[in-house]
Formats: sequence, structure tokens, C-alpha cells
Amino acid sequence: MLQSAKPTRDHLLVYLNGERHEVAGTDAFLTLSDYLRLRLVQVGTKIVCSEGDCGACSVLVGRVEEAPGGGKLVYRAIDSCIAFMYQLDRAHVISVEGLKRNGLLSPVQDAMVKCHGSQCGFCTPGFVMAMTGLLEGDGASTGGGDRRGEALTCDELRAGLTGNLCRCTGYIQIMDAGCSVDPGKTARLSELYPDGPMVEIFDSHAQDDVVVTDDGRTVAVPASLDAALTFKTKHPGCTVVAGATDIGVQRNKGKIDPREVLCLANVGELKGVGHEGGTLTTGAGERWSGVERYVEDLVPQFHDILTVFGSPQIRNMGTIGGNIANASPIADSVPFLFVMGAELEIAGPTGTRRVDINNFYQGYKKFDLRPDELIARVHIPLPTEAQTLKLYKVSRRRDLDISTFTAAVLMELDDAGETIKGVRIAYGGAAPVVLRLPKTEAFLAGKVFGEDVLHEAGHLARTEVTPISDVRGSADFRLQLAENILLRFYHDCAQKMTV
Amino acid sequence: MPTVGQPIPHDSANGHVTGEALYIEDIRPVVDELYVEFVGSPVACGKIVSVDLAQAKKEPGVVGVYTYQDVLGHNLFGPVICDEPFLAESRVDYVGQPIVVIAGKTLEAARRGCRAVKIEVAPEPAVLDIDTAIEKQQFIGPERRIDRGDFDSAWKNAGHKIEGTFESGGQEQFYLESQSAIAYPGEQGQIVVESSTQNPTETQAVLAEVLGLKMHEVVVTCKRMGGGFGGKETQGVIPALMAALVSQKTGRAARIVYTKDDDMKVTGKRHAYKTWYQAGFDSEGRLTAVKMDYYSNGGASADLSTGIMERTLLHADNAYYLPNVKTCGRICKTNLPPNTAFRGFGGPQAVAVIENIMQEVAAHLGKDAFDVRRVNCYGDAPRNTTPYEQEVTSNLLPEIFDKLAETSDYKARLAEVEDFNLTSRTQLRGIAMTAVKFGISFTTKFLNQGNALVSVYTDGTVQVSTGATEMGQGVNTKIRQIVADEFGIGVEKVLVMTTSTEKSINTSPTAASAGTDLNGAAAVHACAQIKQRMADYAAKLFNENNPTHKPSADDIRFEGGHVFDRRSPDHSIPFGEFTNQARMARVDLGARGFYKTPGIDFDREAGRGNPFFYFTTGCAVSEVLIDRFTGDLCVERVDMLMDIGRMINPGIDHGQVIGGFIQGMGWATAECLVYNDAGELLSYSPTTYKIPNITDVPETFNLAFMDNGANAQNIRSSKAVGEPPLLLGLSAWAAAKHAVSCAAGKQSASMKLPATNEEILMCLTRIENTRREADKRQTSTR
Repeated sequence: MLQSAKPTRDHLLVYLNGERHEVAGTDAFLTLSDYLRLRLVQVGTKIVCSEGDCGACSVLVGRVEEAPGGGKLVYRAIDSCIAFMYQLDRAHVISVEGLKRNGLLSPVQDAMVKCHGSQCGFCTPGFVMAMTGLLEGDGASTGGGDRRGEALTCDELRAGLTGNLCRCTGYIQIMDAGCSVDPGKTARLSELYPDGPMVEIFDSHAQDDVVVTDDGRTVAVPASLDAALTFKTKHPGCTVVAGATDIGVQRNKGKIDPREVLCLANVGELKGVGHEGGTLTTGAGERWSGVERYVEDLVPQFHDILTVFGSPQIRNMGTIGGNIANASPIADSVPFLFVMGAELEIAGPTGTRRVDINNFYQGYKKFDLRPDELIARVHIPLPTEAQTLKLYKVSRRRDLDISTFTAAVLMELDDAGETIKGVRIAYGGAAPVVLRLPKTEAFLAGKVFGEDVLHEAGHLARTEVTPISDVRGSADFRLQLAENILLRFYHDCAQKMTV
Repeated sequence: MPTVGQPIPHDSANGHVTGEALYIEDIRPVVDELYVEFVGSPVACGKIVSVDLAQAKKEPGVVGVYTYQDVLGHNLFGPVICDEPFLAESRVDYVGQPIVVIAGKTLEAARRGCRAVKIEVAPEPAVLDIDTAIEKQQFIGPERRIDRGDFDSAWKNAGHKIEGTFESGGQEQFYLESQSAIAYPGEQGQIVVESSTQNPTETQAVLAEVLGLKMHEVVVTCKRMGGGFGGKETQGVIPALMAALVSQKTGRAARIVYTKDDDMKVTGKRHAYKTWYQAGFDSEGRLTAVKMDYYSNGGASADLSTGIMERTLLHADNAYYLPNVKTCGRICKTNLPPNTAFRGFGGPQAVAVIENIMQEVAAHLGKDAFDVRRVNCYGDAPRNTTPYEQEVTSNLLPEIFDKLAETSDYKARLAEVEDFNLTSRTQLRGIAMTAVKFGISFTTKFLNQGNALVSVYTDGTVQVSTGATEMGQGVNTKIRQIVADEFGIGVEKVLVMTTSTEKSINTSPTAASAGTDLNGAAAVHACAQIKQRMADYAAKLFNENNPTHKPSADDIRFEGGHVFDRRSPDHSIPFGEFTNQARMARVDLGARGFYKTPGIDFDREAGRGNPFFYFTTGCAVSEVLIDRFTGDLCVERVDMLMDIGRMINPGIDHGQVIGGFIQGMGWATAECLVYNDAGELLSYSPTTYKIPNITDVPETFNLAFMDNGANAQNIRSSKAVGEPPLLLGLSAWAAAKHAVSCAAGKQSASMKLPATNEEILMCLTRIENTRREADKRQTSTR
């Protein structure tokens, strides 16, 4: 049998509301919302902010996931304004136009009508899509699974709809609508759009490397890490796209328009999360919603921080590797990774190497990664029973907000539970990079754990940070937080001890 | 069955949930339609040295490049004072102020054109804040005053006194649909503009003025807006002008849709205020002398600032009787985009000041703020006249205060909160009840009119057109219900049509919470005329068929989808058949209705009169939880009780009240406009400007209404509901202030609005530092 070179596909294979689209040329570089609104003139999907911060453009994206008895499509809500078509190869997109069945409103739509869940209506399609996703049990914040037969609770709706802003209703009638939907009478999306044929087609193309070009622009969507590294070696200046939750924003705001793109969406080796021998390992391409679900019982502190990381829509696209490589000084996950001493497994043409994340960042948005390398995995030592971990995020708004200040504190007391054996402290939003606080850590080591000591440590912490005043808060506010958070840590621990 | 009083769904709800409801941006472009963008000022203040358009004109796909010199009519406009240029001429007065309009075959071409424009401005020092404007004596419009009694001697004789300043921040409307318009060329220079506007008539008038047309040559329509909140009362005009200018110049359709970023950067917002106040009171906290000098940040031109300040002065009292009072209002001219209407229209800023005074008085006397409010609340004569000497009639406020205190278990919770604050080292709680008494009517008398066109078709269906614009508030649904009831037919038989200056002329903006009051009443007037003609005809018709009764139009009824003589109801005719017969009998089935609010008059020079038709009132209790280390605030529980008369649509009114409250809570506790020293807005998108999220909604939200059928002078005994609940969001701020003053040992603690985590933490830190200093002093003197 003749072995032919693996063919490269020159178009994207995307299903929209059950219809096959082969997307090539300019269209491959469009955002999903532009493709829907401008190319297909399906204008039910609304655009407000173009930066993933309002959810008006929410749609559901189904991808093949392993399930007993074969793969099935699992649907998750995303912000279509910051998702590029090239990220959606082998995916099924359902927009608001795709929800009606036999011309009748879906149960979610019907509930929104009856409960006065819409006023001006501009955010409504986004809410309808996000709520439909919750009923599917897309599991971003809801534990996942098949939730047929169980009505949505107010808590689930609050957790699941933080990615959707409404200015008119004050949300209560939207929650009323969500709670009133009878899931028993709600068709699964797989009943509206049978999985089988799409899964079969997507599977048959699972090994395809895709390269689409248009007028001097190139995007590669490889199916393997090798192919990704090969492309990156050949195109060292390319823009690497994982979830695009930041790159999409920058492109929409006219800040960048990359000519060469390496999209990691289909690289299976970058996916997956697991733990062994006290270490949590996740693929760099694992979406936050996957990590969030996995760590819920394993590292509840990390889970809690992830629930206020962006929104379900953002966590359904954004990846841990993207968050690390984006190198923002206020990245929500990084202080945790710093105090845990996470190691980055970096893949290059000649193999892999490991770097302690504490040594990875070299300055504002500068880091230890060669042009021909990719972050492949992240190995995170888990807190031991003797260690106390607390994570903090302060932002103007609790949900769907970028931090003003973040902190992670990992402490170990002696066997008597009185003296501090060691402590690691990392702050975000307090300097151009996420910082460890060596002086404060040294000061605390060997001291008896107590309010006065932490109070004094707070004063010292203040001297180790150099925050700026910006739109998210003044330098004075951040200095005060840098000081106070250690006292808060004390009280959080003391409360737990007395309990 | 009558539909008024039923919670029927919003008339566009099906379109909303399916995405089939179209907004301007969703309208399919016509062949050869142009895309319009603009270039704004790079600086906040300065003289334009040069505008170089050469390169922009050469950009491929750019079809037109225009400046003020291309304006055929007048380049200046303004709803009250004509002081705002459409396109900047020799100078610029705020960052982003439009200078050049570019039309492209595609959006990308128009944007390329914009980037190719070179503008040189000689910058001048910008005035951005109220203090600097006062120092430089830069004001807009006249100083306004409302005084009553003898403040000076009352102040001198007051047993207790407080004075201070109070600052409240601005607020972005954050309608989700950005400003947008499409202009279509008509014949002989006429023009049709679809605009996302609360004010089609004003848009029509300004378009005519600026384009050099007459009003009858301009048609402005508005199907719906994706939110307005006041932000589209005047500010939709500039984008409409840009599209219309391009259409006029090119003879092609032209559309403009602001990006969210541009919209937030260049359009006006709720005015920030700074107020100097003095309050004298007795040992019960009863106010005897109050003085308030309000200064608003008006931005670069007048817009609606004068009317907004007027409403501030008219709400200085809020729910409280002020026997001796002096108020004064001035608008500061600054280098920010012209600030404008936002739900509440100057009322919230005034109410914030007096509610702050209530908290301060309570702290000063060591009393609970509820008792202070209660003792000051409007009551029986003589404590029932406002500072402008309008009588507060049908006053339910004392009852609302007391009932809500009971149903919310206020006193017991207050005790729990204060106990908690004595014991918790990590958190603080606060609780407060605030009130609202919101005057309903435009304070500008002539605006209190509405007209409606009602057309009955031969199959018994009805179209209604009014000047009201639908922005989500449900005015069309309410009018639909009112008209359906007039004819005794189902709501599905009535459609409320796109608002158009062709059908409803010389209309007022949909604002001041009065949309349903004015336009609903006008629709009823139109229906009454049609029904009278129908009844006259029906009387004859029934008499012919059944001559036992004398023909009597007064006995004709329109109910249950039928027309009948009440004396022989069995001989009824289905409405849809009757209408056809009526046409055959040459009965006119269409009418235009008109309504003007009776009994209102206000002399703004004297500060005396009856500006308001009635008041909408209510109270709310908020309880908050604060993290002592981060300042993070959570509004945990809200109890609200309002008098909004008989609701036309309880489903819609619940939404108005809850939505208004949460919007007010956002203003009072969270939303922050941040500018840099150059006058650039830094918080110009939802990434940096944080409106309330679903998780900010209080876990417990108890909403109740007074059963009040006494407001019979208004349409179907209802009361306006749009703005008043927003002001109750201040209860969350007052609760935060209560919490912070608990931390200060129940002393007064000055705190700005909004009570963000930063504001709260910095307040708590000041209190803590003061306490430490005091401890130190005590230790050292020992």
C-alpha cells in the first residue's frame, strides 16, 4: 500500500445550526460574530463591546468529546465576538437563529417571554444562548453532566450567567425565567441537531492539519504538537492563538492584525488534566472550564478563584497556557502558580525542558520562551495537608472583572501549629510582573503566627511593591491592599482554627 | 376581559428572544449604502491649527470627506441653548469632539480614511473638574435658586448644626445598543432617517436646521432602541447628522453605528455634582434650616444641563419637609463631552445630598437615621408644602415608611447589624432606609403634551402611532393594552407602530417617566373620538335591527370583542364585522388624539409653582456587608415598597422597578468614570466600566406595592415608574455609610458616592489611622 504524505486541508470545516460550511480565504480570519452577521446576515447575534465583556454575542459551540459508546458533541457558551473562525474547525455552532423548533419558541425563549426577561432586548439573545447552555449542563460552573429533569436553581443561574450583562432588567426576571424552565420538556440540543453524522465527519478529519491562506495571511490549525512546532520553527514570528480571549480583543480594537497565526485549538496533546503523586498536571491548551471542574474538590481555593476568573464564556475558550504566556501582571492564576512553584514543561524542536514559573517572567510581558518553543504542560505541586493556601482577588466588580490586586499565600506551621515554618507570598497588580515578596517571607519565617506579626508583615509587604494608579484603582488603594491582605489572611486562618 | 392590569408580555418579546427584533445595525444595507465614521479631537481643549484631508480623500473606497465647511445650514444646535457645534470649527472643547466625517464604501475603507486624516491642534489648558471651573468662574446658563422661609435666622438659632461638602460621580448610561442612524435620500432633497433616538422631533428639527432643509422635508423614525436611559434624548442627534450629511452630499444611503468605545468616549453622561451644604436641626433631628449649593459638571456645552439642574433644585427636599431652605444651582463648563440626561435627570444627585444629610444628622445626634427621616417626612399641613410651595397631596410617604419598617423588620435587623459590628473583626454590616418622592411632569411646561394617531381597519384591527419611543421600558405594550381596552378587543388586534415624525408631529422626547402618561392619554383621546362616531352609528344600526329601544349612543358598549347596546346585549356584533359595516356607512375610523397635562405651572425665575402633576413615591431598605480589609461591598438584602398607583402592566412595572433600583445601586456603589489629566476617559468599555452583574443582585429582594387607586387624574389611575426606583438605589449607599460610621464608633464619616471598594477602604483606613493616633496620644499622656 502506498504511503502518501498526510494531506493538508485548505479550508475549515464548521457546522452552523446544522449546516455544513467550508470556510476558506478571508472568511477564515473573521470573528465568528462577523461571519454570522456580515457573511450570513444572521443578525440575531448582537455585538456590544467586541471584547468578551458583555455576552450579547453568546453562541453555543459543540465539539467532539469522548463519551461511553463513542464521541458526542458537548456544547459550551462562548463569546462569538472574540472567537475566530479558525478556532472552530470541526465544531458545531448554534446561534439564536438555530433554537426554534418547528417554528416554535424553545422552552428557554418561551420562559423569557412569559417572565418579562427582556426589556430592550439587545442582551436577550446572549442570555437565551447562555441559559440554553446551562440547561445542557455545559458545566462551566455547574458541575457538568446531564441535568435532564432538574430545574436550574438561582445559584446556578448566578454562577452561569456572569458573562452576560443586562442594563435594563436588574436580572431578577431573567432568573425567574431560568428557574421556570421545565428541563423535562426541554429538547436536548442533540435532539435538535443529531450528533451522529457530525461526529462521524469531524472524527474522519481529526488528523487533518489545516492551513488556510488569504492575501499574504496564513493560519495553521495543526492536529499534533509536532506539526505545531514545525510551523512555529518555520514561522518564528507567528502569533500563537489558544483561546484568543485576549488576542481577539486586541484585534477588534485595531491593536494587532497578525499575518501568521498558529492556532492550537486542535492539538490533542495539549489537552487534558490529571493528578498523580501530589502534582496536578494540565495540558497548556486545557480550557479553564476543564481545569475549574477538575480542581473543585482537589484544590478548592484555586477553584474558587477560577469561578471569578472572567466568565463562563471566557473560561470555555481561555486556556491555562494562554494565561501564562499572555504574561499579564494581573493574571488571575499566576500568583497561585508562583506560590505552588509550578513548573512549565516547554516543548521545542529538540525535546522538552522544565522551567519554574518563578523564573519564567523576565519583565513586563517578557519571558523565558524561545521562538521555536511552546508551553506544553503545567505541573503544579498540590498543597500538602500541613500547608495553608489562601487566594485573593480584589476587583471593582466581583465577577467578570480584571483584578485590581491579587494575592496568593501558602504557609506551613510547625507541628505545634504555632510557629511559621515557611511562607510564600505572591502578589499581582502590585508591580509590572507578578511578584514574590522575599523580604516579607523571610520576616515571617520562624515567627509565631499571630495578628501582630501579620500586621507588621503587612507594613513590610507595602515596601516590596510598586503599584501604579490606573483605571482599576489608585496606587494608594493597592498599597493598602498589599498591607491588609496579610491581616485578612491571618483572620481567615484564625477563623478556621477556632472552627 | 380588560387587559390593563395584566402582565402580558412585552410586544417585542418574541422578537427579542429569537433575535428577530431588528435594531438599526441589523437592517440590511441597501445597494451602494455608505458607511460613516468620524475623526474626533485628539485633545480636550485647544485651537485647531490645521486639518489635512488630502491623504484621506485618496484612500481607496473613501467616497466623501466632510468638515463643518460642508454644512449647508447652521452648524450650531442645542435643545435649550444653541451652543453646540455639529462639527468643530476653529476650536475643540473635549476629547473626541467630531471634526471630520468620512464616508466609505465599506466600514474598513471609512476607518482607513479616518486614520489618514491629520489634525493639528494647539492645546490649551483643559478644565475638567468642578473646583477648577468654579475657580475660573466658567459656567453655563444662569444661576437658579429656590428659597423658602428665613434660612439665615433659622441657621443662627439652630440647636444643632452640620456642614460639609458632598460629591457624587457621573454615570454612563450603558445602553447596550450604541448610538446609530441610517439616512436615506428622498426626492428633491428630502431625507428619511432611521435613528436610535428618544426624541424624533428634536432630531428632525436639528437635521433640518443643520442640513438647510425645512422640517417637512425631514422624516425621522425609530422602531426601537436597545436601551436609552436618557442617553438618546439629545445625543442621538450627532450620529444622525453625520449619516444625513453624507446622504445629502452623495445621494446614497449612509449608516453610522458607533463602536461601544467611541460611544462611551464621546457622548455625555450623568452629571457629577459637588454640593456645599449646611443643615440646622433640633434635638429630634427635625431640620429647621437647610442650605445647599449645587454645582454640576456640565461638560463643554449646555445640552440639557439647565433642565437637569432645575430638577435637582426641585428635588432638594426629596421626601422631607424643609421649612427654611436656600438652594442654588450652577452648571460648570468643562472640557468633557456635554453631559446629558440619565434616568432621574438631576433628581438622584439632589436626593443623594439630602439622604447624606439624614445619615449625618443621625450620627451627630447618636440617633438612628430612620427616626431622623421619619420625623422630617412630609406630613399633614403645614408640613406638606415643598420649598417651591407645591402642596404634597395624597401623601402616602409616612405610611410607606412605617409599613416598610415593619415588613422589613428594620429595627430588629438594625440592632443585629450594630451588634455584629461590635464583634466582627473582619466584616462590617450596614443598614439604611431611604425614600423617594419624584415629581412627574417635564419641568418645562410645553413638553407636557402628547399626540397619537389611531387607525381602525375594517377587519377590526388597530394600528396606533404615538410620539413615544420604545427603548425597552414597555411603553408600546402599555399603550397597546390601553387601546385594546378602549375598543374592548384583544391586545393581539392592536399594533403599536414605528414612531415616526410623519405620523406623530411636534412630539416631546420619551423622557421624564411620562411616556405612557402623555401618549397613552393621547391615544385614549383618539379612541374616544372614533368610539363616539362608532357609537352614533351603532345606535342607529341597533335601532334599525331592534326598534324596541330609542337610539342611544350612550348605551353602546365595546366589550369582549363585540359591539352592543347595553340594553339588549344579546344583539351584539363582532367588532371586526361592525367596523366593516361602519366603513360602508361612511364612518371615519381614524382619529388623532391630543393630551396636555392639566394644572401644571412653574415660574423658574421665582422658583414657585406646581411643576408636577403628581409624585411617585416609595422607600427601600438595603443591608450591606463590607470586607474590612478590602472594602468589598455586597448588597445582601433589599426590601422595597412603592406607590405607583394602579399598574397598567405589573410584569413590565416590576421590571422597571427592579431594573431602576439596580441601575441606581450601580451608580451609588460601583460605577466609576475615570479620566486622566488630559481629559481622556479611561473607563470606556465594559472591561473597565463595571455596571452591575447578575451576582451583584441582592440575594433577597422583597418588592411590594401600595394599593393606591386614588391617582385618578392620570391614565388608568397609574403612576409613572421609569425614573423613581433608580433613586432608591441610594439606600445601598446609605447602608454603606452606616457601616462605615459604625467603624468610626457611630461618628459621622464622610464618604463620596459611589461607595466603591476603594472609597470604602480608604475611608476605613482613615478611620483606623485616626483611631491609632488617638490611642497613641492617650498612651503618651498616661
